[in-house]
Amino acid sequence: MGSTQDIKQGIAINFKNGAWLVAQAQFVNPGKGAAFTRAKLRNLRTGQVIEITFKSGEAVETVDVVRNKCQYLYTDGTDYNFMDNVTYEQFALDKETVGDGIKYLIDDTECYAMYIDSVPVSIQLPPKMDFKVISSPPGTKGDTATGGAKDVVIETGATVRAPLFIEEGDIIKINTEDGSYVSKANG
Amino acid sequence: MLNKELAKQRSQLMQKVRDFFNARNFTEVETPIMVTIPGMEPYLTPFETKFTLPSHLKTEQNSTINLYLNTSPELQLKKLLGAGFGNIFDIIKVFRNGEVGGDLHNPEFSMIEWYREKADYKDIMQDCESLVLELVKSQSQDNSAKILNYQNTKIDLTTPWPRKTTNELFQEYCGIDLLQNKEFEELKKSAESKNYDTNGCENWDDIYFKIFLNHIEPNLPKDRPIFVYDYPVSQAALAKKSTTNPFFAERFELYIGGTELANSFSELIDSKEQRERLMEEQNLRRQLNKTVFDIDEEFLASLESIQFPCAGIALGLDRLFMLLLDKKSIEEVILFPLAKYIN
Repeated sequence: MGSTQDIKQGIAINFKNGAWLVAQAQFVNPGKGAAFTRAKLRNLRTGQVIEITFKSGEAVETVDVVRNKCQYLYTDGTDYNFMDNVTYEQFALDKETVGDGIKYLIDDTECYAMYIDSVPVSIQLPPKMDFKVISSPPGTKGDTATGGAKDVVIETGATVRAPLFIEEGDIIKINTEDGSYVSKANG
Repeated sequence: MLNKELAKQRSQLMQKVRDFFNARNFTEVETPIMVTIPGMEPYLTPFETKFTLPSHLKTEQNSTINLYLNTSPELQLKKLLGAGFGNIFDIIKVFRNGEVGGDLHNPEFSMIEWYREKADYKDIMQDCESLVLELVKSQSQDNSAKILNYQNTKIDLTTPWPRKTTNELFQEYCGIDLLQNKEFEELKKSAESKNYDTNGCENWDDIYFKIFLNHIEPNLPKDRPIFVYDYPVSQAALAKKSTTNPFFAERFELYIGGTELANSFSELIDSKEQRERLMEEQNLRRQLNKTVFDIDEEFLASLESIQFPCAGIALGLDRLFMLLLDKKSIEEVILFPLAKYIN
């Protein structure tokens, strides 16, 4: 249990009987009215994501979360195993808790483990990560119907929407929050 | 974002916007970026700067005067209406302190404002429809294009675009009739009976916005533009009161793909009523511990010489170009977004 403070990215808060991580906070000014902050909250236990708008300056109750660097080890199909790089303790989280993150885990991926009262409740990936493209259909020039984008497969097996010029073997930067392509990382 | 292709597309769109208004006999005007009296809106914070007076104008008391970067050219444009300029438009950079972050804000941004004589806000709605359709057509080989593809959503631009009053939206999405809840305590009770969060709300407008932002705006249709119109008078200091119900003012906002794009009024041209509303805003600024600006007397005087009903609008061009070029953030259509330099 923590004290109160303004809503901001990176803090964890108590809201509607749950602990939530503020994944994103953005300024909203509805015009001719007070300023508000629209926050994307990720439930630290269930991974559920919701969007809530708070009045700017509105006090929220913070939750003390310990965030340690950790490393992904392996999965047995149901559980995902990690090692805390600070305590060297291993822990497992089920597929649902890891959530969309499973799309971006490869051996030794460095991420963060989040603990509430010493219990690991979730992992947090770096907001942007680089991946090798392992399969990419040739792009068709002038194909505007698809908005100049195509689906490519990255080394984790996940499919990402990328621009037509991306080729097999390229390294691309992905936004792990929403799975979108950010940029080409090599060359 | 330093993308030459995007910069070129943006420049072509900007030219089309100018062509649109020139073809309709609007006069393009240039208003100042630095002004001595900025807009009074209580929740906007202008950048403040100082002009150093040259030695022959300096006095013992004053060696500088306060200047502000304009948050909107509306006061200047209405002075031009009073001077008989007729239909006008202005493409200008405006500045709002403290507004950064997320996909839709940069502290300086490009705005177009246009004003029509002998018109009301419904005429401006039609301008919006025609302008956006013309820009979409200019980007397409198909001259009858009525679809805007934005972030994997097909937005149907067939006119007329849906129009809903704020009170219709409150009733439809929340079962709350604003006219039955005109007082703070009433609205608070109604909101709480529906388990809506009213935490931190100190007045009627706070609750209004909290409900609107949490339960209405995110649920507005994304596959059609929508005009949200007739706002509570407390949220429309420069707008004319509605003739059908004085609790509301003739103001609308345009949303496309869920993004708020423009804000428009049937202009209030009664200088006495305008003075009262500006004084209320001065009071609110005082309560909020913000700089209280003088009332722009030149502006009030010019309202008296406006001979016809007028309507005007401010439309965020960066947001419009973001939508037309299918980009997620305005930062992608701005060459040097500030966020890049402060994070």
